[in-house]
Amino acid sequence: MDAKAFTSEFEKVKPQLKSYILRMTASIQDTEDIVQDTWIKASSNLASFKGESSLKTWIFSIASNLAIDNLRRKKRWPENVTDICKEAAKNDMSHFQEAMKIIETSEYAKFEIKEHIAFCFLCIAKSLPLEQHLCLLLKEIHDFKVKELAQILQTTEALIKYHLYSARQKMIEVFDGRCALINKEGMCHQCSEINGIFNPKQNLQEELVKIKMTKEAGKADKERLLDLRMEVLKEINPYTSGAHELQLHHLEHNRRVMEEYLEKND
Amino acid sequence: MKYFFTIIMLMTSFAAMAQNGKATTVKKTFNRTTTISQVINADPSIVWALLTNGADFSRWNSTIVSIEGDIQKGEKIKLKSTLDPSRTFKLKVKEMVPDQTLIWGDAMGKRTYTLEKSDSGTLFKMEEKIGGFMFPLFANKIPSFDESFEQFTADLKKEAETIAKSN
Repeated sequence: MDAKAFTSEFEKVKPQLKSYILRMTASIQDTEDIVQDTWIKASSNLASFKGESSLKTWIFSIASNLAIDNLRRKKRWPENVTDICKEAAKNDMSHFQEAMKIIETSEYAKFEIKEHIAFCFLCIAKSLPLEQHLCLLLKEIHDFKVKELAQILQTTEALIKYHLYSARQKMIEVFDGRCALINKEGMCHQCSEINGIFNPKQNLQEELVKIKMTKEAGKADKERLLDLRMEVLKEINPYTSGAHELQLHHLEHNRRVMEEYLEKND
Repeated sequence: MKYFFTIIMLMTSFAAMAQNGKATTVKKTFNRTTTISQVINADPSIVWALLTNGADFSRWNSTIVSIEGDIQKGEKIKLKSTLDPSRTFKLKVKEMVPDQTLIWGDAMGKRTYTLEKSDSGTLFKMEEKIGGFMFPLFANKIPSFDESFEQFTADLKKEAETIAKSN
């Protein structure tokens, strides 16, 4: 493959790659760096691409390894990340004012509940062990096969199955224990509260019935509800969604809060 | 020839019995050893991953209340078992050979997990030896591990095989 053809292929996978790396790192800057480094590394090692996997798998493999290098030395976030960040946001007037300014000025700040569902998943998934997080996103959001994941992580399919299964069970447990959208006893109503702040004209109940996960909450099993939650993520690109400027602002806030929190609790 | 076949049959049935998930305990004056083995239809790497992810233990293993700390060679872990949830065992991870051997313990006892790759997946063995010079003084106060060993092994087999079958 020549450089021109590679560039064209890279540009095709780049939106998906950026979305994946952002959901791994929760950092806009780190995402830019990793995607840029992936491009440099892949284009300068193009001769080593033998077609043993698809080009997309090869590119994601390089990016995943760069993300692992970046994240290995950082602590994982706690499961109650959204509680901690909510408290911090309540005490940070400038964060709120900035958010309101984005709503007033940007055409990409149309808050919808599904945006927060995806945002919430992004934050909570960062409590998973690194390999589990990576496998869950690649398999469930970006449709890679177990065999391809084994190539990307350079490990066995058996171990990939372990990472995936454990990741799913952990996410089911966390959301089942917290999320009021799927469990009446759940103590987290953040998405509904935020809807009232950032999009008060929107009818919450009308929005909720549009989301399959909340519609099926009473009857579907926990595995199915997790699948439906991840379907919401698949529909949303965090860089192009209707509220991405607002959500990226919240994400930067949560990342900063988490960095301070983890340093303080070291 | 007849005796030969009888011996072979007996050996085969003993081997099968030894891998049936039933615990056995041998008591001696200064120590007690409980052992169990079971065939698990999953790759050793899956069994190994389950045994070495401390934070995840209580999700699948009904005999463990919690494990704190990294299960890494030389590291210390804090284990709470359903056998005595009020007590925290402070154990040191003494040996780790990936996909093969894991040993943790303290001054009183040693728990050894052994994995052998087999045609059907993994032959899992678990052994706990407790003892010492003071052992006869408190031997009667230590509950039997047999039931807990059998539950541990059943939970491990179920979880590992579920993962192996997943897509």
